[in-house]
Amino acid sequence: MARRYDSRTTIFSPEGRLYQVEYAMEAIAHAGTCLGILAKDGIILAAEKKNTNVLLDDENFFSDKIYKLYDDMVCSVAGITSDANVLTNELRLIAQRYFLQYGEPMPCEQLVSWLCNIKQAYTQYGGKRPFGVSILYAGWDKHYGFQLYQSDPSGNYGGWKATCIGNYSNAAISLLKQDYKEEISLQEAKALVVKILSKTLDTTKLSPEKLEIASLYREKNNTKMSILKHEEVKRLIEDQERVEKEEEAQKKREAEARPST
Amino acid sequence: MSYNGGGVVAMKGKECVAIASDLRFGIQLQTIGLDFDKIFQAGPKLYVGFPGLATDTQTVHQRLKFRTNLYELRENRKVSPKVYASMVGNLLYEHRFGPYFVEPVVAGLDANNQPYICAFDLIGCANAPDDFVVAGTCEEQMYGMCESLWKPDLGPEELFEVISQALVNACDRDAISGWGARVYVIEKDKVTVRNVRTRMD
Repeated sequence: MARRYDSRTTIFSPEGRLYQVEYAMEAIAHAGTCLGILAKDGIILAAEKKNTNVLLDDENFFSDKIYKLYDDMVCSVAGITSDANVLTNELRLIAQRYFLQYGEPMPCEQLVSWLCNIKQAYTQYGGKRPFGVSILYAGWDKHYGFQLYQSDPSGNYGGWKATCIGNYSNAAISLLKQDYKEEISLQEAKALVVKILSKTLDTTKLSPEKLEIASLYREKNNTKMSILKHEEVKRLIEDQERVEKEEEAQKKREAEARPST
Repeated sequence: MSYNGGGVVAMKGKECVAIASDLRFGIQLQTIGLDFDKIFQAGPKLYVGFPGLATDTQTVHQRLKFRTNLYELRENRKVSPKVYASMVGNLLYEHRFGPYFVEPVVAGLDANNQPYICAFDLIGCANAPDDFVVAGTCEEQMYGMCESLWKPDLGPEELFEVISQALVNACDRDAISGWGARVYVIEKDKVTVRNVRTRMD
């Protein structure tokens, strides 16, 4: 019965659902995880790299998950990479057109909102399929400081303190609910990101090749974005493993101290 | 082109380039501002000057910034002087039949720190010689000064002296150029910006 309503994006189902949009979100649920955390002095975006094939020529490209949009904003994508390329290109154009017209950088929410209006149009007009991409935006503007936004194929967006998209996002979000503290610092956020990813990702052991961590911060009135180097990611992972081992040892000691019944 | 007045000159030296502009902003015969630098930075070792109609100076600079920002985002590298010069010529020719009234001058060091200078007419014809380029209302005076003062392989200090003398003396013979001058000397490890004292008339 539902199949009769699948074929066109611009049609509601009898239960009031937009199937194409939901199927698009399914595509994203199988894609590489992206995690974002808002700290008081910056934002951390972490992405799980799914293409770790040794044959890939990865010397000359910047990243397949994290894109710089303009001086004050970066984004991380989850979903169909080709759709993501089209959207990030459009985001860059939108930001530049704003700068050309108003002479100052585009505020973060406006950029997200503009793109989401475009994404929404693909769910209502034209008969084209929606974009199969969810995007995490990390940016700074002079009105609201550091901000983290998430948008999905339906064109909905929201501002977050910490969020996750892609594979295992539900597990990550429930962990974030427990572990996220309001005034977290950038350094603590880096450690938190590694902790959450090591607990939710399917791999037995995290490695720097599988993980890409970017941080956005302000220095001398400029917004800077840096991708953490291999060594630093390795160190964060090792620190996390050490903490986990101590927790394991602690639990064992408590179990032994308790008298057995 | 002679509504606002002004002039820009660029010269090649030994592993360095210099670009200089006057600072006058005027409307016909009235001088309004003394801080209107027609030179903008387009990259760490790349500068461009837009003498001509002041509104087009600002607009062409902004439109080029739009294009170079997107270039740098997509290609993940800074734009090189030759490519930047192509972009300038391309933008100008797009408006072949309703042109921007500027005659841009590009000066910079390429990836191997080799000097590059280039000048354009208002519809995008590029001219990239080995010695010097001039543009503005005092163009003819600057040609005379440069031709006599410039020699090949000048070091950064000497180049600064030569370009300053060329600009200042040319502007002195032009009613609507002058009122201060700013000189940029671009070397492989630094860029020095100096204001030069001129006749304030």
